[in-house]
Amino acid sequence: MAPLVEVRDLTKEFRSFKRREGVWGAVQNLFVREYVTVRAVDRVSFAIEAGEMVGYIGANGAGKSTTIKMLTGILMPTSGTVVAAGWVPYRDRRRYTRQIGVVFGQRTQLWWDIAVVESFKLLKEIYEISDADYRSRLGLFAEILNLGEYMHTPVRKLSLGERMRCDLAASLLHNPPLLFLDEPTIGLDVVAKERIREFLKEVNRSQRTTVLLTTHDLSDIEELSRRILIIDKGRILFDGDLAEMKKRLAQYNQVKFFLKDRSQIPRLAEVTTNGLGLERVDELTYLMRFDRAKHSSADVIRTLVNRLEIRDLFVEEEPIEEIVKRIYLSGEVA
Amino acid sequence: MGSNAFAAPPLARSPALLPLALRPYAELVRMGFVDTLAYRLRYYTGIATYFIYVSVYYFIWKAIYEHGTSIEGFDFSQIMTYVAVGWIIRSLYFNNIDQDLATQVTEGTLVMNLIKPVNLQGALIATALGQSVFRLVMLTVPTTLLLFLVFPVRRPASLAHFAAFSVSVALSFFIVAALNFAVGTLAIRLLSILGLLRAKYFLLELLSGLLLPISFFPHGFQVALDFLPFQYISYVPLLIYLGKLSGGAAWRALGIQIFWVLALVALGHAMWQWSSRKITVQGG
Repeated sequence: MAPLVEVRDLTKEFRSFKRREGVWGAVQNLFVREYVTVRAVDRVSFAIEAGEMVGYIGANGAGKSTTIKMLTGILMPTSGTVVAAGWVPYRDRRRYTRQIGVVFGQRTQLWWDIAVVESFKLLKEIYEISDADYRSRLGLFAEILNLGEYMHTPVRKLSLGERMRCDLAASLLHNPPLLFLDEPTIGLDVVAKERIREFLKEVNRSQRTTVLLTTHDLSDIEELSRRILIIDKGRILFDGDLAEMKKRLAQYNQVKFFLKDRSQIPRLAEVTTNGLGLERVDELTYLMRFDRAKHSSADVIRTLVNRLEIRDLFVEEEPIEEIVKRIYLSGEVA
Repeated sequence: MGSNAFAAPPLARSPALLPLALRPYAELVRMGFVDTLAYRLRYYTGIATYFIYVSVYYFIWKAIYEHGTSIEGFDFSQIMTYVAVGWIIRSLYFNNIDQDLATQVTEGTLVMNLIKPVNLQGALIATALGQSVFRLVMLTVPTTLLLFLVFPVRRPASLAHFAAFSVSVALSFFIVAALNFAVGTLAIRLLSILGLLRAKYFLLELLSGLLLPISFFPHGFQVALDFLPFQYISYVPLLIYLGKLSGGAAWRALGIQIFWVLALVALGHAMWQWSSRKITVQGG
C-alpha cells in the first residue's frame, strides 16, 4: 500500500524585498526595491505510513511550519510534490481538508467571542457529522480532555491549556485519518502537556490516526513518537527511528551525583584531572559528562567514589536535546 | 476510548430543510448572528450615530431648498426621505468583509479558514448575512422608528413598491458583500490595504448615491455610472421606494442588480483563485 503521506523534493521559496535602514533608506525603498529569495524548505522528501506518529523538529525558522502549511494545502509549493490521503493538498484543498485535522498551537480555529460548543456545532455542519457520531465523539472528548466545565464559555475567557484542549477536540470531531499538530504544547504547563499527550496516544492507538507533530519540546517527541524528522535551514538532516538515533549518535553518558556534604566541595578538583568535564547543578549536585568511547561508566563511578564521599548517583544517557544540538551544529548526520 | 465514537464515516443525517451543501453556510449565518450578540452594546451608539448623520443632512438640505422647491425632480420631503431611508438601508447592507479579510491576512489567521472544507467567499458572505440579520433587529428597526418620528420621512410609494424595494435592498447586501470580498482579496498580494479600503469606503458612499442622488451628478458622470455596480447599492432601491422607478423599469433594475451580484461573485472568485497562489502566511 502506498504511504499515507508522500513528499518528494518539496521546496518553498519566499521572495521578500530587502529594506534599507533609516529615513533615506525608507525613501529609497519607495522607488527601488531589491528582492531576496529565501528558500524556507529545500528539496525535502519523506513518506509517512498510515498509523505512524512522527515528530518533526527543528529550530525556529528551520522550515517546520512552512512544511506543515504545504502539507495542509495552505501554501503552494514552489516545486516538488506532496500527495496525502490520496490528494494533492494545494490543488484539491477543499476535498483534502475533509481528510485532515489541523491544530496550530499559536492560533485557534474556534470563534473567539462565543461559546466553544457553538464552534463545535458549526464543525458538525461543515463536516456533515451525523447527530449520533457528533454526540458520542463530543461526549468522549469531554470526558478524556475534561472539556465539560467550559464548553459553554466564550473562547476568549479560556486559559491557554483549556483552549488547546478544545482546539484538539475540534480538529478530531470528524475523525480524520491524518492529524497535523504545529506546536500543540507550546506554552502549556506540565499537567496540561501530559493530558494532551495521553489523548494523542489514545487516538493514535484506537483509531490508527496518523499524526505529524512539530514541537520545540523534545520530551513531547520522546513520549509520543518512535520516528523523528529533523530539519534545519530547510533541509532534512535526519529521518529515522528515535531509539536508533540515540544509539548511533549518543556520544556521551553522564553521571549525576550528590555530595554527602559541603566539606566535599574543595575535593571536586581531584576528579577532573583525567579530562572529565564537570557541570554544577547546585551546591551539592553535579554532572560528570564523558565520552562513551573513551571511558566506561564503571571507571567513572570508581573514580568518583574513591575520591569523594557521595550520597547518591545515577548514570544517564545523553539528553536528546544535546544530540539534536550536535546534529544542528554539524549540519549533517554522520 | 470507546470504540463506536469514531465509527465509519457519517451516512445518517438529520432531516435537512436545506440542500446539504448549503447547511454549513446556513450555520455560518447563525454564527454571524450569535457572534454579533457579544457586542450588542455597540448598536445603541450605532442608533445615535445614524440619527446624527441624518440630522446633519436635514439641515444641509433645508438650507439648499430655501431657494427652490424642486431640484432634479426631488422636492424637499422626497430628498429627506431619500437621505433617511438611505441611511436606514445602509445599516442593513453594510459589512466589513474587506477589512475582515485584510486583518486575517495581516494577522495570519486566514490559515484557520483555509484548513476547512468550505468556500471562503461563501463563508464570509454567509457570516456577514448573519450579522446583517442581527443589525436588522438591533439597529435598523429602532433607527427607522426614531427617524420616522423626528423627520418628515415619507412612507413607501405603494405596497408593491415596498415589496420591490425590500428585494432590492437584499440584493444590495449581496452586491456590497461580493464587492468587499473581491477588494479584500487584494490584501493577499498587497498585504497592507487599509488605506485603499478607506478610499473605497468614501468612494462607495458617493458613487452608491448615499450622499446625494446620482441624478444630481454631471451628465457624463451619470452615463459612466450606468455601467458600474455602485448606484445599484443605494440609489436604485431608493428610487423604487420613492416610486420613481415602477413597473418594467423596476423589474429591469432588479434584473441588473442580480446581474451585478453574479458578476461580482464571479470576479471575487477569480481574484481569490489568482491571489491564493501567492499566499504567504504572516508569522508562526
